[in-house]
Amino acid sequence: MPILDVGYRPWQGQRTARWTRSLVLAETSIRLVWRNPWLKRILLFMTTPALIVGIFVALFEQTIERQATRSAMTQFLRSPATQRAAERAGIEDLNLREDPQTARHFAWSYLIFILFRYPQAFGMILVLGLVAPRLISFDLRSKGYLLYLSRPLTPWEYIAGKAAVIYFLLFLMAAVPSLLIYLSGLFLSTDTSAFMHTWDIPLRILLATLVLMIPTTAIALAMSALTQESRYAGFAWFAFWIIGAVSYQVLWFADQARRGERPQRMEYLGDYNSWMLFSPYETLGYMQMQIFGLTQGEPFVWGPWMVAGVISILGYIIAHRRVARMLKA
Amino acid sequence: MRPILEIQGVTKRYGWQVALRDVSLQLPSGKVVGLLGPNGSGKSTLIKSLLGLVSVDSGQGRVLDFQWPRQVRIVRDHVGYLPEDDCYIESLQGIESIQMMARLSGLRRTEALRRAHEVADFCDMGQERYRTVDTYSTGMRQKLKFAQALVHDPEWLILDEPTTGLDPAQREQLLDRILVLAREKGKSILLSTHILHDVQRVCESVVILVGGQVRLIDSLENLQRPSRAGLQISVVSDADLLKQSLDKLGVAATRVGSGELRVDGEGEEVLRAIWRASSESGVLVQRVDPFRNSLEQTFLDAVASKEVANAHS
Repeated sequence: MPILDVGYRPWQGQRTARWTRSLVLAETSIRLVWRNPWLKRILLFMTTPALIVGIFVALFEQTIERQATRSAMTQFLRSPATQRAAERAGIEDLNLREDPQTARHFAWSYLIFILFRYPQAFGMILVLGLVAPRLISFDLRSKGYLLYLSRPLTPWEYIAGKAAVIYFLLFLMAAVPSLLIYLSGLFLSTDTSAFMHTWDIPLRILLATLVLMIPTTAIALAMSALTQESRYAGFAWFAFWIIGAVSYQVLWFADQARRGERPQRMEYLGDYNSWMLFSPYETLGYMQMQIFGLTQGEPFVWGPWMVAGVISILGYIIAHRRVARMLKA
Repeated sequence: MRPILEIQGVTKRYGWQVALRDVSLQLPSGKVVGLLGPNGSGKSTLIKSLLGLVSVDSGQGRVLDFQWPRQVRIVRDHVGYLPEDDCYIESLQGIESIQMMARLSGLRRTEALRRAHEVADFCDMGQERYRTVDTYSTGMRQKLKFAQALVHDPEWLILDEPTTGLDPAQREQLLDRILVLAREKGKSILLSTHILHDVQRVCESVVILVGGQVRLIDSLENLQRPSRAGLQISVVSDADLLKQSLDKLGVAATRVGSGELRVDGEGEEVLRAIWRASSESGVLVQRVDPFRNSLEQTFLDAVASKEVANAHS
């Protein structure tokens, strides 16, 4: 019992703008997923690769100025994988001494791309597999969507609010560490013109994060909306990435075998081939490579963009239709 | 007073199935109106249509001061909806759920929390407001939904089966709160329910929906008023003995149930005849009430009839 029961009292006050209401949904959903201790542990663990890349960037900057450490960095730049990546980026001679500007831009972009491509991408699959399946399926099971939509929210705004949860996590996982690495590189550089050589990298980081966010969120929300059991959505999420990657590898190797070619070495794995479109992981990776300017030595291909675009549109439409259809039940 | 709702020609189809057929409705402001109808009669579809949760095929009108269905999103800011379904946001505390609903209706964060506590007190949620909603009993979830519907102080409350799952004491308390809101706070309330006792307890008007059509709209008083005046007598022992005595005294009486008689006419003369017949037959009269039509019978008649009765109150 309350100490002082004032009964029912009318309320009068100024209401917030209607467009902010989906932010309330997003904020509540973020607060809920943040209560998961495993999410915090994984996010903390994922700072390790970012720290390693940060140390690499710092070392690179120190190396440019110091003769003693330059040879070690030159070895790294001369490795077959780096040389092939430089070729793809349209850099004929990656020379640290003669053209430090080009070398710096390439090295920073390449290191940050590697961070995006491997640890952050795997981390993204793991984190979204933990969080995203519950986003809509829990609401469908507990009919929570009725509560949201009985307020001035449309099904699209509901989807946007849920998508914001994934956007937030991906921004935290992908963009924030990369931007911090970039900033630490700038502050640790002894060359004051470093900013002038790399000013476009933050923009590329943001664009690469956006490219990661939009299709993966669409896929995750569609899977979550298709079932009331989040474990099925979680299973489908991991299966989607694994089956895609395995299909790509099998088809690619089979294609090479059919043509009587020897399987290509690891440094050629980043090269574009149309089988890549079967694997969402490879497709997104190639798009990020394009964004970081690491394919400038090759003709621009639109295939991955079209596949990602179609998947995104389909994903958001499926999620919307499921929510809108539940209202008719 | 201007009606809270005026809609005309509302039709809603789900594929080939017609859920609402040319529904026209006008509901008084500041009153509790019962929405009755058998299962599948279109009550929930009508409510969802009013809130814009489903789009209608045709029809237009006005809800509160807003054009319907064009301004339906603004309408939702001024209407409190208690859904029939057991719906909640998993892992949120009760108080957080109410606060979130307040914020979704435009209250700022701190004000939403203050208001959430105020409404939780009104709904007698006690310390259970701090438990996660997943652990709530059905009764607590009904209280929570009621608090969520009220938190933004709506002008119109749409309550879809609000007493489902409540024990008798909780049900009475909820009905009392509905009466307080309507009579003391001037709220307009649409109460959709199957429980006729609830309707009789709190409603002033009734809308009966059958097969997606409005079959009857009238005030409860009119509906319960018999075509001719009479008294209903409840007796302790043999009603037939009392009936024989009344017949001898020239007062027409008919058996209406076990231990119950209906006597035509009112006034002191009839009452005196009843006491005299009771004395002569030795049958103890337990109570005498003015005869009223049973709402249950009215409902069954309305469902069975084909014609639309539109006797506006």
